[in-house]
Amino acid sequence: MAILEIKHVSKFFGGLAANSDVSFELEQGMIMGLIGPNGAGKTTLFNCITGYYPPSKGEVVFDGKTMNGLQPDKVCKLGMVRTWQKVRPLAKMSVVDNVMVGALCRTNSLKVAREMAMEQIRVVKLEQRANFLAGGLPIGERKKLEVARVLATQPKLLLLDEVMGGLNPAESEEIIQLILDIKKLGVTQIVIEHDMKAIMRISDRIVVLNSGEKLAEGSPQEIVSNPDVISAYLGSE
Amino acid sequence: MKPTLTNTRGISSLAAILSVVVIALLFMFPRYVQSTYALHIMILIFINIVMGSSWNILGGYTGQYSVGHSAYFGMGAYTTLILMQFRQIPPWYGVWAGMLAALIIALIIGSICFRLRGPYFVLASIAVAEIFRVSALNLKDITNGAEGILTTEIPPLTIGGTVITDFASKVPFYYTGLFFVLLVILVTWLIQHSKLGYFFQAIREDQDAAHSLGISLTIYKNTALAISAILTSLAGSLYALYVGFIDPTTVLSLELSVSIVLICIIGGIGTIFGPIIGALILVPLSEALRSNMLGQALIDSGLVSAESKFGNFLTENLAHAHVLIYGILVVVVILFMPDGVLGFFKAMAARKKKEAA
Repeated sequence: MAILEIKHVSKFFGGLAANSDVSFELEQGMIMGLIGPNGAGKTTLFNCITGYYPPSKGEVVFDGKTMNGLQPDKVCKLGMVRTWQKVRPLAKMSVVDNVMVGALCRTNSLKVAREMAMEQIRVVKLEQRANFLAGGLPIGERKKLEVARVLATQPKLLLLDEVMGGLNPAESEEIIQLILDIKKLGVTQIVIEHDMKAIMRISDRIVVLNSGEKLAEGSPQEIVSNPDVISAYLGSE
Repeated sequence: MKPTLTNTRGISSLAAILSVVVIALLFMFPRYVQSTYALHIMILIFINIVMGSSWNILGGYTGQYSVGHSAYFGMGAYTTLILMQFRQIPPWYGVWAGMLAALIIALIIGSICFRLRGPYFVLASIAVAEIFRVSALNLKDITNGAEGILTTEIPPLTIGGTVITDFASKVPFYYTGLFFVLLVILVTWLIQHSKLGYFFQAIREDQDAAHSLGISLTIYKNTALAISAILTSLAGSLYALYVGFIDPTTVLSLELSVSIVLICIIGGIGTIFGPIIGALILVPLSEALRSNMLGQALIDSGLVSAESKFGNFLTENLAHAHVLIYGILVVVVILFMPDGVLGFFKAMAARKKKEAA
């Protein structure tokens, strides 16, 4: 059963079509890679899915319910949550407090929230940093914090916006392992990523966006051999 | 970087003991200190702490810098005095009405202003507070306009026929103020140690991130404003009853809104003790400057003769420049202690600790 259905979603900013008529479905438990050149509309699509922008046309159906017009906080409560391309740590709060904010979406008790938070902090391996202020963390750890925080909201569907951007190869590898671990927990994921090797490794399916339109969809093997994708990335002759 | 958990626990138990001692001393204060001037200063400090701490819930914890808190202060002051003077309703009921009035206007103001963010919210909050000031000036039938309201007599507080107090001295105001201070600190503490506190701080640090983590911005910003407004109205009611006279330029002015914000900025934003320290610095400072204490002390000590040019300058000019000096001092504090006095000393303690280690 499809957990997420994107039906003919378009988003216009004035005359500019950031997304036009994008449709795809996502099966429970899989990882979908979302790729495309800069400005292809990947982040805009994330914003439309999670309620930051209402889609100009079309519909987003999550878990059988239409998301149109729902604010991000309601969307999160229903089990769909996103991370940000530019990390957004709650700088003057400690790492554990950051993750607790996510956990408090599901519980009213600070004690329970703290336990839930520590569990997710262990998942992303930030235990030694638990009591440090989030604002002081290096970029690699901030990205992990971002993931721990969204995991604490107990999502069914996770949207990761370039979690590997700006990381060195060793840190990227850790994040790849983390994404695969999250998959084992049964959480469905959509991953925006520019690192092709990484996206090919982790994705079950890939959707390619170009100039706001869906260019191709398929398994990683199908995508790498698709002539349209190659010309979008490398330019055609 | 945050110190380890055990460390913060050690400090908080010490702080708890100290707080109990200070509160006990404050309760005994009027028994041993008869000076009405000292009591007057203490009451002013209490009112300022209540103002600052209430603003701190919205500005310090939730990050919404309202520069229109005079609206809630004035709402408390006017409601209490109008009911007492024109409707013969005793102030201990009027205070509740003031809180209710503040709550209602907070929800109205919140639903308008929270559509805006950052500097635009600040401007909107100023504008709305100005609407209340101008309204109070012109609704002469209700508020007496620019003439203001002068209290004649506060009815004595009786419970079952026994007179608790007749409000003839400053002492009942002192205890009321102290009670309000403890109440605001308790509310702040409870917020800080609950889900609300986490949500407020998350909104302060990053609204969009907070929103994506399931926090409804509308609900929680309005909750913060409602709590803040209700407590601010308490300060307003107490001020009105204590001073016995209010008019739009004292209780609804932009100056008042700014001074509420300053208490927190000087003391330290987003902490329980920040506004307390802010009020402890600003009230005596402004009193000392107003009464030209420094200049007078120089003359009294014989260092400067009152007839000399400098002495003349001290008594004639400096006494009238108290607002200017106050302003300069505030700028200096903000420049050199951007996290407030409390933040400055915390950072200094942390640096010392680091050097020792």
